[in-house]
Amino acid sequence: MTFVWRDLPSHSFSEDEPTYYERPVLKEPVWIWAVPLYFYAGGTAGAAAVLAATAQALAGDELHGLVRTCRWVAAVGGAAGSALLIRDLGRPERFLHMLRVIRPTSAMSLGSWVLAGAASATMGSALLSDHGGLPGRLGHFAGSLAGLLGMPLAGYTAVLLGNTAVPVWKATRRSLPHLFIGSAVSGAASLFGLLPVDLSPREVRIVERFGMMGKVADLAAMTVVEHEADRIEPVGRPLREGISGALWTAARVLTGASLALSLLSGRSRAKRAAGGLLGTAGALALRFAIFHAGKASARDPRATFRQQRQPREAEANPQR
Amino acid sequence: MAAVGFFTDTTICIGCKACEVACKEWNQLPDDGLRFTGMSYDNTAALGASTWRHVSFIERPVPLTGQETGLGDFSWLLQSDVCKHCHRAGCLEACPTGAIIRTEFDSVYVQPDICNGCGYCVVSCPFGVIDRREDDGRAWKCTLCYDRLKGGMEPACAKACPTDSIQFGDLDELKDRARGRLERLHRHGVTEAYLYGADAAGQPGTEGLNAFFLLLDKPEVYNLPPDPVAPAMEAKPAWTSMAFAVLGMAAAAVGAVLMGRES
Ligand code: SF4
Repeated sequence: MTFVWRDLPSHSFSEDEPTYYERPVLKEPVWIWAVPLYFYAGGTAGAAAVLAATAQALAGDELHGLVRTCRWVAAVGGAAGSALLIRDLGRPERFLHMLRVIRPTSAMSLGSWVLAGAASATMGSALLSDHGGLPGRLGHFAGSLAGLLGMPLAGYTAVLLGNTAVPVWKATRRSLPHLFIGSAVSGAASLFGLLPVDLSPREVRIVERFGMMGKVADLAAMTVVEHEADRIEPVGRPLREGISGALWTAARVLTGASLALSLLSGRSRAKRAAGGLLGTAGALALRFAIFHAGKASARDPRATFRQQRQPREAEANPQR
Repeated sequence: MAAVGFFTDTTICIGCKACEVACKEWNQLPDDGLRFTGMSYDNTAALGASTWRHVSFIERPVPLTGQETGLGDFSWLLQSDVCKHCHRAGCLEACPTGAIIRTEFDSVYVQPDICNGCGYCVVSCPFGVIDRREDDGRAWKCTLCYDRLKGGMEPACAKACPTDSIQFGDLDELKDRARGRLERLHRHGVTEAYLYGADAAGQPGTEGLNAFFLLLDKPEVYNLPPDPVAPAMEAKPAWTSMAFAVLGMAAAAVGAVLMGRES
């Protein structure tokens, strides 16, 4: 009798750490590739809008080329980001339902309003600010507004992920915003290296410094995210294993290489393009790594269980 | 309207799946395909967009208190799972369209004419209950038979349950009944019995469930989270972090523009 039973699923029952036939507790995120791509687009748009507004405020006349390019990057990023999010909806024709209510408990609700505002402001500033007179003034005003809204635009997506039941996102909800902001700055600055625009040496310098700070923050935040996730073993696993682990490593290598390149002397076009390519690839890989890590984490019942058990056992007060 | 809900007493569930069938029929839910999971008699596997009641079959190599079998140490645990209609509902708090609402019966309901299928509720439910239907694009879950309640009837699953393992009624009354049942079980020596999610003290992360359970083993055994938390409850540190991070980004922009001036 026993030998018949040996292979039955019931024999996998563990009294110490039971699961239900290894089935996930949570539902896997239903989001598609458009969502991590949006994280990149929105982050880039946000960081570009912030740089544009800052440059405009501090030295608008001298940095005209930079401000203009930033505004267009932000406008295209905002528009493309909105399109990507609509593409991801189960019922795309109902995208306007996002603006039916404001729900403070929902990062997606707040984020939708931020995106709607930021996309309008960035587009307005890009289209109007080249004109003189009232339209031009309106454009500059829209640019400042875009700078303000660009800040939450680049960061809310990290809060959106952190405020879920998915173990790896939930565990890193404090460090994820730093990672996303660092990566947004790095991604935006890297994109400039790829654009066929002529910037003055001073403007190139500004973009480079901005990017370097972003890359340093990005790499530092990656380490903190890992540390936070690794506090509970199975929670951090997706950052080491599988597709998400590979993407995570790729993001670190690419961003690191891009940073190393910008530390070398010389500001040739080719060097900037190479750094831009590496940085862009790094920022994209990072968003996809986090996205796939969440999917893997939701599939792992032990990650869910241990994350909820461990703090409780630490209190030495297990309910059962 | 007073709050209503379910008390699911797993000790008297016989695993007949009448609740699963009644739910599918009444709510006209699509089938999930015919397949064998190899998980005991459970070929339903999980709650989902088109499965709003799910009976778990747990074969334990552990005896139940006071039970003797001819097969050595062995016992069945059966549990009919359902949306918990949480007091602090992760899905509702995440819904950006206002499609998910709290009804006059204190249940959590997804309005199909509003839902745009953003999928945020799916990752926000700490119980893995709600899901998006692929062909339809919207999120679905147990409605607590809103239409039947409107007509003064009890939900289809509770109506169909032959052993009254699923009890529907006024929430306060159900809790009294559940405590009475628990006491009786304890008196008869089934000391492992406990209530899952019956009040905010036992489950602070959801502030209590309108569909709660009487269980005989760890929540994990039934694929229930031991300490579920509505994600919005822990949102503050994430927003604070974001505030610092974006200020850092603004400072970096100012720094870059100013530093670019020299040299
Ligand atoms: S169990 Fe999940 S789907 Fe049901 S009310 Fe709670 S959070 Fe929402």
